[in-house]
Amino acid sequence: MTDGTMVTLISLGVTFLFMLGVPVLLVIGYWVIGCSFVLGLTLDNMGAELLNVFNKGFALLAMPLFILTGDLINKSGIARRLSDFAYACLGWIRGGLAMASLGACGLFAAISGSNSATTATIGSMLHPEMVKGGYDERFSAATAAAGGTVGIIIPPSIIFIVYGFLMNLPISELFVAGILPGALMVFGMQFACWVICRMNGWGHLIPLQLNRVLKTAFGAWLGFFAIGLVLWGIYTGKFSPTEAAGVTVGFCVIAGLISYPINRIMGARNDIPPTEKSYAEMFVVEGFTIPEIPSIVIRSAQITGILAPLIAISVVMQQILSLLGAQQTIGDFVTSMGGYHAVLFTSMVIVFFSGMVLESLPVTIILAPILAPIAASVGIDPIHFSVIFLVGASIGFITPPYGLNLYVASGVTGVPYFRLLRYTVPYLVSLLSVWILVSLVPDLALILLPNN
Amino acid sequence: MSFWADIGAIFSAFLSQDSFEIQSALESDAAWVLGAIASALGGFLVMLIYRAVPFVERHLERSVMVYSYLAIALIIFWGVIDRFVFNDQEPWSTTIPPLLFMVMAWFGASYNVRLRTHLSFSEFRTAMPRGGQLACLILDAVLWFIFAVIVIVTTTRLVALSASNFQIVLGTDNIMQWWFLLAAPLSFFLMVGRVFQNLADDLHNWKTGEPLIKQAVIGAD
Repeated sequence: MTDGTMVTLISLGVTFLFMLGVPVLLVIGYWVIGCSFVLGLTLDNMGAELLNVFNKGFALLAMPLFILTGDLINKSGIARRLSDFAYACLGWIRGGLAMASLGACGLFAAISGSNSATTATIGSMLHPEMVKGGYDERFSAATAAAGGTVGIIIPPSIIFIVYGFLMNLPISELFVAGILPGALMVFGMQFACWVICRMNGWGHLIPLQLNRVLKTAFGAWLGFFAIGLVLWGIYTGKFSPTEAAGVTVGFCVIAGLISYPINRIMGARNDIPPTEKSYAEMFVVEGFTIPEIPSIVIRSAQITGILAPLIAISVVMQQILSLLGAQQTIGDFVTSMGGYHAVLFTSMVIVFFSGMVLESLPVTIILAPILAPIAASVGIDPIHFSVIFLVGASIGFITPPYGLNLYVASGVTGVPYFRLLRYTVPYLVSLLSVWILVSLVPDLALILLPNN
Repeated sequence: MSFWADIGAIFSAFLSQDSFEIQSALESDAAWVLGAIASALGGFLVMLIYRAVPFVERHLERSVMVYSYLAIALIIFWGVIDRFVFNDQEPWSTTIPPLLFMVMAWFGASYNVRLRTHLSFSEFRTAMPRGGQLACLILDAVLWFIFAVIVIVTTTRLVALSASNFQIVLGTDNIMQWWFLLAAPLSFFLMVGRVFQNLADDLHNWKTGEPLIKQAVIGAD
């Protein structure tokens, strides 16, 4: 039996394990082990990578820290304030609460860097209110799932960190390149949301009041400050993305701890609408106490404990794929399609269909090292291609069968997975439109870069 | 050397506590057999300890994860403050956090095994009859165990290699790298304990007729 046949059989075997519900970490792990035997590689290589991948760069550390930031701003009440502000700005439009939910996803994503954290936080916060506000619960859940996709495009972004780490690209530039495409994704989805809500007459309108907008904007100052801190630090090069993540964590912890006693002194009226609160009450958020910190951290650590081992094992997988010549094979196929636009289109198709069956992390780890050099060889800017690649990967979060955000939204809203699928279609159409636009107009990704 | 002589050499090397001897002894194939036995016994011991002392069961991995996480955040946060305010930065502030990240990641992996929150595609499994579901859960346990044995053996070799080379953490004078690297084999021992715990729970659920597959929630206890 040839090596190629053996590798094919191993790949089919692990695909069968995947379909049986075996964890992805083991699926990739056994593929690596099987292929190592076929290629005559020592398993010590795998063990070494499982340890060394964490030591290779400081950059990967931004991932757990931005995950923690998401949990801290959620627990402290900063995320709530951002969503209040978004609602005050958009509540007067038909479907305003749903559009505010998408806007809040964008704001949350600008502090955190995780799609699932964005979906879980905004979904659990705004889903009950959307249902109360006359929206279909399936549409509400689909909105949370779709909104979460911007979590990895608007900086900071965990997946940009992984991409930059793997492809040796400056993460700060990747972050900056994600700003406009991320904003476009939010606006595109808000437009789709407005059309659907208008057609169905969903949502109650609230008047647009300058006082309400100003008060909620004032109430969200900690969130805006955190967003500004991250963007300023990275954009000006004052600190690296990892340091930006550390600073944001520190800021959120300090803000949460200081806010808690002040909020208690003011009466801790956390459940009343922002319009009934005074400006002084809006100045501080709910906050948290020192004993609450471990319970916040453990949730982030649990998510990191899922993602980090996956990255480590995927790095070994990537090495074996390289030894097997997979990059060459896929590269030849993509290159054979023609020039700039053909390579672009083929890459997008591969990323889209891979995103349907795989989580964005394995998609990035496996395909980015294969497709990015080919894209560069036909003249596509590496930073531009990273944005194209990752917007495509983010769309995979709401495409079945493996749409992670769909599972998360289903989990936090209680709407069964298959029931919310239909309502993601308008969002999918808008995201695909933005994706095509971003791929055809490089300036959308590159214009904000400092050296451009 | 014969297989039994290799086994004897491994025992002898560990008793001598000489990292170079340990590293040399672990290179033989006997390490796999000994690793499998040690993993099974170690995992079983961990399971018994967890059963006897629920406090340890509940807090061991969680505490390691939380303190590593907080230490990472604190070191990096202070590193920035130190640079901006005091025009200084400790050289180890960028080398110790990645090692702590590794510690947190592998202990987190073990914890997620217990909670069954590792990413998976469970649609088909959930729709299976109970017999099929139990078979899948046993398959999971077997796959986790074999994977853990491989990682324990290969990473222990690396820990010994690091110790025998006296690798220190960059930016420090006397902090050895292997102190941190040891977290990987240790966490996989704990993981085997978690696998055994889950298997025991699954068999109990099978006998009592309770649901075998429950919705896992990230962030839940």
